[in-house]
This record gives sequence, C-alpha cells and structure tokens, in this order.
Amino acid sequence: MKCWKREQLFAYVHRMLEPREESAVRSHLDECARCREVAEEFRELDTVLDAWQPVEPSPWFDARVRAAVAAAEQKRSASPLFGLRWARWLAPALLVVLVVLGFLWVRRSPEVSKPVAQRVAPRTIQPAPAVTAETPHQPLARTQAPSVVRPPAAGATEEDEISLYDNLPILEDYDLLANFDVLSELPRGGKKVVN
Amino acid sequence: MAIDHDLELMLRVRRGDGASFDELLRRHRVPLVNYFSRLVRDRTLAEDLAQEAFLRVYQARHRYEPEAKFTTWLYRIATNLALNALRDRKTTQAPAEAGDEKAESPASGIADSRPTAEEQMILSDRERLVREAVEALPQNQRAAVVLHKYQEVDYRQIGQILGVSESAVKSLLFRAYENLRGRLAPLLKGGQI
Repeated sequence: MKCWKREQLFAYVHRMLEPREESAVRSHLDECARCREVAEEFRELDTVLDAWQPVEPSPWFDARVRAAVAAAEQKRSASPLFGLRWARWLAPALLVVLVVLGFLWVRRSPEVSKPVAQRVAPRTIQPAPAVTAETPHQPLARTQAPSVVRPPAAGATEEDEISLYDNLPILEDYDLLANFDVLSELPRGGKKVVN
Repeated sequence: MAIDHDLELMLRVRRGDGASFDELLRRHRVPLVNYFSRLVRDRTLAEDLAQEAFLRVYQARHRYEPEAKFTTWLYRIATNLALNALRDRKTTQAPAEAGDEKAESPASGIADSRPTAEEQMILSDRERLVREAVEALPQNQRAAVVLHKYQEVDYRQIGQILGVSESAVKSLLFRAYENLRGRLAPLLKGGQI
C-alpha cells in the first residue's frame, strides 16, 4: 500500500484537492493508520490556531476614519482644480501646446524661413599654395587655403537669388579642386615633387 | 449576497454616497483591524493602518473598477500597507507588551461563558504561544496563514492579494503549517501548557 505525501494529506484536510483525488485519499485513510494520524495532526493544529482570539477596534475607530476622510475631502476641495478629473492631464497638455507653439514660431521666423543663400554671405576661397622643396612640411589640413568670408557688399542684398544659387556649386567645386591640387603635389613614392 | 453587496456599496461610494462608505466601514472594520493586528503585532499601529486603508479606499473610489471581489481589493491595499509598515519599523515589540493587548480586548471576556481564573491562564498561554508561533513565520507565510485561517479568504483570492498563483498559495500554506506544527508541538496531541 502506497502512502500519500504529507503535502497531499494537508491539502486533503484543507479541501484543496480535486474531487477524484480527494476520494482516493479518503479511501486510503480508511485503511492506513499512519496517514490517518498525520491528517488528524493537521486537523488538531487547525483547532489549536483558534486560540488566537479576535480583537475589537477601539470605540473611536469609526470616528477617526470619518475625520480622516473629511480632512482629505477638505484638502481636496481647497485645491483650485477641485472636482476636475481632467486636471491631472493639464500639465502634460500645456507642455505639448508649448512645444507645438515653439515649433511653429521657429518655422515662421523670418530669419529661419529665408533661403540659405540669402542668409549666408558668399565665400571666396583662395587657391592653396603649391608645396615645394623650400616649403617646410606642414600637416595636410594646414595646407588648405584659408576660407575668407567677405562681408556682404552694399548691393549684395539686391543680387538675384537665382544667380546666388548658380554660384554655389562652383564655390563648392573649387573647394574640392583646391584639395585635389594639394594632394597631387604631395610626395609620391617617398620623393618630393620639386617645381 | 455579501460579495455583491460590497460591490454595490462601493459603486455607490464612487457616485458620492457617503452613507454607503459608512456601511462598508461597519462591515469590514473588525476583520481589517484584526488582519493588521495579526500581521504587525501592535494594536495601535493596526488601527492606524486600518484607518489608512479605509482612507485609501475612499480616495481611490473614482478609480475603482469592479473586476475582482471588493475584499480582494481591500486586502491587497491592506497587505501592502502592513508589509510596508513592517519594513519601515524593523523593530519587534516585546512579547510581554504584546500580551497586554488581550487584557484590553473586549472580545476576551464573554459574559456567559467566562472561564475560571485557571482556565483563563491556560487559554491565555495557549493564545500567546499561537500568536508567537504565527508571528515567527516569514512575512509571506504569515500573511497567507492569517488570510486563510483567520480572515477565511479562499485560495484564489489569497493568490490575487499576494500576487502569486493558486498553487503557490497552497504550497506556501503547507510550508507555513509545517512550521507551525513544529513550533506548537507542545499543544498538539492533547498537550496542555
């Protein structure tokens, strides 16, 4: 005869088992004195725990709860947004509105809305000096021609916008060209190019 | 039906009916104070926590959704409060001090069946041993035993309150009762203190 585990006997006593399992344990307990004793011990323990008697709340308990509720209500009603359930969404909503307004303001600002060509003065880049044997070796970046930003001429603002756009790629190309020149004059195969 | 009545009362409280809140208070104050009293070992603290639990119920009335039993919601609030209080307090109350609670308990003396002085001493000692045995359990086992044995909450509800599965509750209870069996061995097999 196979005995049940203590945990299963505990579950039986406390009605935790499924009906079929419960029936099987009951049948086993009829035949097994040892398991019956374990089950009886769990029942006895349950009875012993009844010795811990309940207590009654103090007579002023209800009054204290009502006072606490009234105080909370008063505090809530003192709030300027009393009764507005949507008030908790007010701060995030205001933040979103401010962000949107800020974005629109930046987009509509006259300076920002101008075309790039109108906002940036045209640059004139001088060609890089050739590298010669007499020229002391300098890092590549320093051999590039310095950019000279001219202040806009008196009539610059009156220039045709289309012509500024036309000039822009040329300036960019010239930049590349200048770099190419410098690179081509760098030493090849360890030998310096001497003009 | 008691459960439906609690839900109904809470829904009325949500609509602003103060009398329904008083009714809920009347129905649940004794079990709730006892629940806290058995978990935190301090009668005064138990009443403070029960008051706080009722206040939270009132303050959360607009958010209340009748998805589970009202008592599941109430005991979940209560359990969180009790475990936080135990965590904050850290210090344990002296057993002698805790023993004084019984003397001031109106439930300790029932007029018609008042035990003799000797019986009272034995009963008192048994009660003290039981209380100390339950109080010595780990927090989750103690909460499970109190909910199961003294609050008569079913296993599924205990699981929802403690945030564990029903099978985990059964296992937790078995371990707790095995611990109690060891501690209360002198009272078992007809033993008397």
